[in-house]
Amino acid sequence: MESDPQRIARGLRQRDIVVLEALVEQYQYRLVRYLVSLLGRRDGVDDIVQEIWLRVLERGGSYDGRSRFEPWFFRVARNIAVDAMRKRPMLSLDSNDEEGGRSSPVSGEPSPYTLAARTQDAERLAHSLQSLEPVYREALVLRFQEDLSLQEISVIVAAPVSTVASRIYRGLATLRPQFEGETA
Amino acid sequence: MNIDHHKSFQRMIDESLAGAISAEREQSLREHLYTCAPCKEYLGASNRVIAGLGGFSFEVNPTLNARVLAALRPQAEPTRKILEHHPGTRRQHNLQFRKWVALAVALSMSVIGSELVYQVAKHLGVPMHFDTAQVQAAVLVFWLLPSFCSALCLLAAPGVKRGIV
Repeated sequence: MESDPQRIARGLRQRDIVVLEALVEQYQYRLVRYLVSLLGRRDGVDDIVQEIWLRVLERGGSYDGRSRFEPWFFRVARNIAVDAMRKRPMLSLDSNDEEGGRSSPVSGEPSPYTLAARTQDAERLAHSLQSLEPVYREALVLRFQEDLSLQEISVIVAAPVSTVASRIYRGLATLRPQFEGETA
Repeated sequence: MNIDHHKSFQRMIDESLAGAISAEREQSLREHLYTCAPCKEYLGASNRVIAGLGGFSFEVNPTLNARVLAALRPQAEPTRKILEHHPGTRRQHNLQFRKWVALAVALSMSVIGSELVYQVAKHLGVPMHFDTAQVQAAVLVFWLLPSFCSALCLLAAPGVKRGIV
């Protein structure tokens, strides 16, 4: 019987619009969330989303269906986002610079994290998340929101597993003080 | 317990959350957490960060999906129609099938042709005083082997050159 990745791979190979519709439905929100983590802003994301889906259609034949779809998909998304950032230098993520690449929200506007916070804990994290370097934010989102393994994340970000792990540790270390001293 | 001791277990908590810990170390961490309040607090704060990350809900423009699909359709459909007429995968399967059929036909013709040539050569060989062994050797060298090699070449040659696609 055909597995989900194989079905997706076949659909992409055949440029099947029904499969694409299902993928857009399933991944759109997750894609937007991932892009916000990379860009640190909400504006401009929709254009990049459209470009990413066109690239998925164009390059779909290269997904072989032997591994999960997510790493391939987020890798494509990341490449487009990095290209977009090169064209509009809001931040530099492509350099994988651990110290650089801080996102720059438009002055006076609330950050996308402040606008998107739906719980008290999220509200407390919003500011720290906005000021966190994108590579750490990205690692946290991929690990704890997308539930991807370190190996899968390393494929997406094109960095060694040890680097991905240390980004997760550092991301957690930056955000953890918000809640320290409150839990038993 | 000293600070370094806690730090090593807190490092293990990070590894556990990242999915980078061995089963052995995870077990040792669990045992430690039963008795260590600071490390339990560290784990609690880490879990709140992770839960907090799930507390964001980004609004997706309600027209975005429609816009994306409108951009995808023209790109997907024409190609799909072409593929429906000349689908790559079906073509691959057809090619494989035809290749083996062609080989089977070629081999059969080679064997049947050899038999016919042998019969003819045997009749022609009598007035020329060739014995059966000589006729068989001639058929083998000049007919059976070349035709067999031709059949194998058919298997190895690209489909387009064979005119079977």
